[in-house]
Amino acid sequence: MSREPSFLWSNSTSEGRLTGTWRTASPDYRNLPSPCLGACPVNGRIATWIGQVTKGDYHGAWTTLVDNNPFPSIAGRICHHPCETACNRVEHDEAVSICALERYVGDQALEENWQYPKPETMHDQSVAIVGGGPAGLSAAYQLARRGFRVSIYESQAQLGGLLRYGIPSYRLDKSILDAEIARIVNLGVTVHLNTSIADKGGLEALRAEHDAVFLATGATKSKVLPGLDYSQPWVRDGAKFLAQTNAGEACDLGRHLVVIGGGSAGIDVARTARRLGRDVTVLALEPDDLLPAQRTEVVEAREEGIRFVCGAMMQKVDAGADGLTINCVEVAFTPGAARGQFTIAPVDGSAFTLAADAIIPSIGQDADLKKYGDLLDSAGPVIAHDENWQTSSPGIFAGGDLTSMDRFVTEAIGMGKEAAMAIARFVDPEQPAFVKPSDPAVPFKVINTAYHSADGRESPAHVAVEQRLQSFGEVQQRFTKAAAEIEAKRCFSCGTCIYCDNCYFYCPDMAITKLDQGYEVKLDYCKGCGLCVAECPTGAINMAEDLGR
Amino acid sequence: MEKIEYEEKGQLYSGHVACAGCAEALSLRVVLNTVGQDAVGVVAPSCLAVICGAHPTSSVKIPVFHTTIESCAATASGVKRALDKQGKSQTTVLGLAGDGGTYDIGLQSLSSAAERNEDILYVCFDNEGYMNTGGQKSSSTPEKAVTGSTPAGKTTRKKNMIDILAAHRIPYIATASPSHINDMVAKVEKAKAIRGTKVLVILVPCLPGWGIGDNAMVKTSRLAVESGVFPLFEVEDGTRYIMNHTTKTQPVAEYVKLQKRYKHLSEDDIAGLQAEVDYDWDRLHRRVAQN
Amino acid sequence: MNIAANNRNLQLLSGNHAVAMGAMLSKPDVAPVYPITPQTPILEKLTELQTEGRFNAEVLTPESEHSVLAACIGASHAGSRVFTATSSQGLLLMHELLHYASGARTSIVMFNVNRTPASPWGFWPDQLDSLSQRDTGWVQLYSETPQESLDSVVQAFKIAETVNLPVMINHDAFYVSHAVEPVDVPEQSLVDQFLPPFVPPFSLDPEVGSSFGAPLAQDNWNKSRRVLDAAQAAVCDQVVEAGRDWGALTGRPYGPIEQYRCEDAEVVIVTMGSMCGTVRDAVDRMRDQGQAVGLLKVRLFRPLPVSALREALRDVPCALVLDRNYSPGTGGILHQEVKAALFGTGNTTKMHGLLAGVGGVSVSSDRIQRLVGEYRDKVPSPDAIWVD
Repeated sequence: MSREPSFLWSNSTSEGRLTGTWRTASPDYRNLPSPCLGACPVNGRIATWIGQVTKGDYHGAWTTLVDNNPFPSIAGRICHHPCETACNRVEHDEAVSICALERYVGDQALEENWQYPKPETMHDQSVAIVGGGPAGLSAAYQLARRGFRVSIYESQAQLGGLLRYGIPSYRLDKSILDAEIARIVNLGVTVHLNTSIADKGGLEALRAEHDAVFLATGATKSKVLPGLDYSQPWVRDGAKFLAQTNAGEACDLGRHLVVIGGGSAGIDVARTARRLGRDVTVLALEPDDLLPAQRTEVVEAREEGIRFVCGAMMQKVDAGADGLTINCVEVAFTPGAARGQFTIAPVDGSAFTLAADAIIPSIGQDADLKKYGDLLDSAGPVIAHDENWQTSSPGIFAGGDLTSMDRFVTEAIGMGKEAAMAIARFVDPEQPAFVKPSDPAVPFKVINTAYHSADGRESPAHVAVEQRLQSFGEVQQRFTKAAAEIEAKRCFSCGTCIYCDNCYFYCPDMAITKLDQGYEVKLDYCKGCGLCVAECPTGAINMAEDLGR
Repeated sequence: MEKIEYEEKGQLYSGHVACAGCAEALSLRVVLNTVGQDAVGVVAPSCLAVICGAHPTSSVKIPVFHTTIESCAATASGVKRALDKQGKSQTTVLGLAGDGGTYDIGLQSLSSAAERNEDILYVCFDNEGYMNTGGQKSSSTPEKAVTGSTPAGKTTRKKNMIDILAAHRIPYIATASPSHINDMVAKVEKAKAIRGTKVLVILVPCLPGWGIGDNAMVKTSRLAVESGVFPLFEVEDGTRYIMNHTTKTQPVAEYVKLQKRYKHLSEDDIAGLQAEVDYDWDRLHRRVAQN
Repeated sequence: MNIAANNRNLQLLSGNHAVAMGAMLSKPDVAPVYPITPQTPILEKLTELQTEGRFNAEVLTPESEHSVLAACIGASHAGSRVFTATSSQGLLLMHELLHYASGARTSIVMFNVNRTPASPWGFWPDQLDSLSQRDTGWVQLYSETPQESLDSVVQAFKIAETVNLPVMINHDAFYVSHAVEPVDVPEQSLVDQFLPPFVPPFSLDPEVGSSFGAPLAQDNWNKSRRVLDAAQAAVCDQVVEAGRDWGALTGRPYGPIEQYRCEDAEVVIVTMGSMCGTVRDAVDRMRDQGQAVGLLKVRLFRPLPVSALREALRDVPCALVLDRNYSPGTGGILHQEVKAALFGTGNTTKMHGLLAGVGGVSVSSDRIQRLVGEYRDKVPSPDAIWVD
């Protein structure tokens, strides 16, 4: 009797067949850097914190932000946001409004009064920081949160430096500045106001008193426009103008003002003057599309009725009874290799004149290289330093505008952070070194745009022009919650896993295992097809050569 | 972005021998996990048989019966009737077949099962040709496509299987694509809850048969949907049409350029295909409007 | 024997209706059917019985015999008792799945009404349709009468479900299928006593998850045939047992073969199906005339009961094999089979293969008697012999 057909049946699973042997490549979850991370002067983990925003984890987002920058509310208002220029989304529709999102999170932190946790361990080493501007405060924060003793020596009556004295309040409200600075001071930083370390002796004394010194006194000397007599009452240096007006002093200049310089400082001067009821013309060497100021600043300035005369230079000023006649000529402008470098050639027969009551040259600032005598070597227009931000004088470090021609607030913040880490390591070799991200940024082409609609960016509201001109209130408004949520979701999250599970669900071989946070490839079964990589919406996975098991 | 969501119940095992990156294996995974364990499958010879099989192992957790290529719906009918008689009406009986076993040799038995409104969920994994035998044309092969038996490109259109099925007035017909997994899951769930004959036609781009990369099947099927070449829709009771992806945002050219089977096409050829897609798309939308 | 005889429930039934009654009494769960002349009365009787509530199977009516058998296979593997019926073209359309059903070790019972296969078209009694399926792995039984057809259906389920092989029962078109005779329709309780519910050895069960039909490697494919061979080898004993048990309950015993008045026979006529009835009459008459002639009825054709045939023909001087079929290029299929069964045994029977009744032509009792006279002393021809 044969009732044994059982062997014809399939009774075991296919899991004994290890199809991983077919593979020549396998997925690698690497979380490669996003282009914004590399472009960000503070190397902020932008994709990460925006991802936290999409999940509604604002405190987490803020914590990620302040890991690299203690000023998210400030940077969210005034950063020149190279991250947005680098944003892969530019090739899809428009860059993510990273800056406005950062402000949203930063303001949330101020509203909620989130404070930094106290350091877990305290160190005996002390560091003196000379200059309480963005670079100095950034360094103070990074050192203080690591438990070092920090003393700031500020020549002015209040901390903030350029943030306080150079940036008008319609771009950065002073209450924001005060709050973000206070949060740093609350970490236990000792502050010496109205204390100038004015000369070589003072600096040497400070160095002797502390385990290290960080110099961040900025670029305080205004560049001088050749051919302009600064002693005339109708000439006012731009930085001085801003310091006076920011301090609330009345403006004693006439009605028609010509601001010379198309950088951020020039625009700040122009817009400030406009708010003081003046008619303002900006005269800039650069053609319109190459103006060094941020585009939004130029746009907003034009909205506010400021006239731009671009691609031209002043040649001579004739002062008459009815005011000034500024003789100008158009120039051919050729940008140089580095920021701030250029060549110009006057265009024959293009002479014209501008009428004005006063001129405000605002063409930039230089670092004061002579202040500390021969104690510090210089390198061209800045103080020389090694890769650890240490000057020629051991134990004295420098950063910010003093050491760099990249004259942006967030560049200074980034330098402050890097220098702080170097200083920490200098005073305590067990401290970790700063590691600049070296992996190449995730390119646009690895982003699977099928998962990202192209609807354009959300923009924060702007106050109407008429209202703007009546006060120094902020022009750009905070995102609404809804807009922030929409905008955060636009982020490609380039190179950063968003735990969307696409890799898990698109694997035909069930070769991806979900972990609590992340995924693992079952190499026994992965055939190396690359579907997980192709369908990753963020480019967080790579195929890496792997000749099977 | 919309997150893919379904419960992975382990209904398809690793270690199956589908090609790396296979659309059919992935679609099978989705279908089986959505249907769950209380099911019996009837498999027609096709790549499915290869994926499920290799005696004495099975890549599927549910019991399946491998039948002959033309008999899928008939065999499934027999299984279902037997289970009904045994009081196991709740068990889903799945017909699992390729396009050859559905559009061609299996059409007769499928038509009959549909006419009888047998309580089966028939899933056609449509890779537009006899891909398991190395890639010859079936009546599902689209016009112009090169296959082993149409080396100069097929001269006639793809058979409109959905229209044929709709004429049977069965309760549920739907198309699905591995690029739209949530949609596929929803359709399987919907079909599972309906008594009578349900047919799901899933477009499964065949990597060697269509000439696309190992990692390209989702992209290809997504383009098929977004170009309107393979619209995602449902037909209820043979008369009510529901569009699931309502926009046609990609040109047919984008779809065909990914595939070696179309690499010989001229611009005129592509324009011709585009015109047909546009015509069919409008026709479909008129039907939706007539609901 | 009288126990059953006392309880007889005689009804006037055609052969096909007797089949339907046999199917009803066997209580199959699923019955896929497709109409074809001259099988159709089986289908119609079953659906009528179903409508009356007397036949409780799931009846389904697919578009073809091919799908019918596909449904049968699926149902059988899902663990159900399955019955169907067909004829001629229908059986031939099933050919692919006949192999499939036996390879899958199903327990399907199918009734085939023997009819000429086209072309040319004809609707006449001829056994070529089923005999040409002899290599498909199905058990084949041939029935002589409506009563035997009913009885064989019930027994076939017992056999099929014991050995896990599909069983095909055949009777001749019209001569049996449409001939009306008094048929004893047994009580349901008697059939239930004989035929317990089907307990499949394996089935498609989601709680178990075993699958059937994945491609086998060569060695296992080879093994599948050896196991099939072993199952076939067990069939004959099961046919004996079922026929004996059924006889005990009904007074009508059956076996793989039947020897009718073969004692000391000088001539034995070997045949199958309805021809047996005519031969029985011829034998009676010739015995009345003092001629030692007998009938060897082959009921079980697949697997061929070789031992029984050898024993039955051991000392027979002359045998006439009457084939109501013609295998082109060879002759009568039963003739070939019987000769092959005896080959190498030292048997000296002069065996004549006569193509009698091919295409349904009538072969009368008189004609059979004359054939005995014509061939009993002849030297057997190696060629097929057509007889009028």
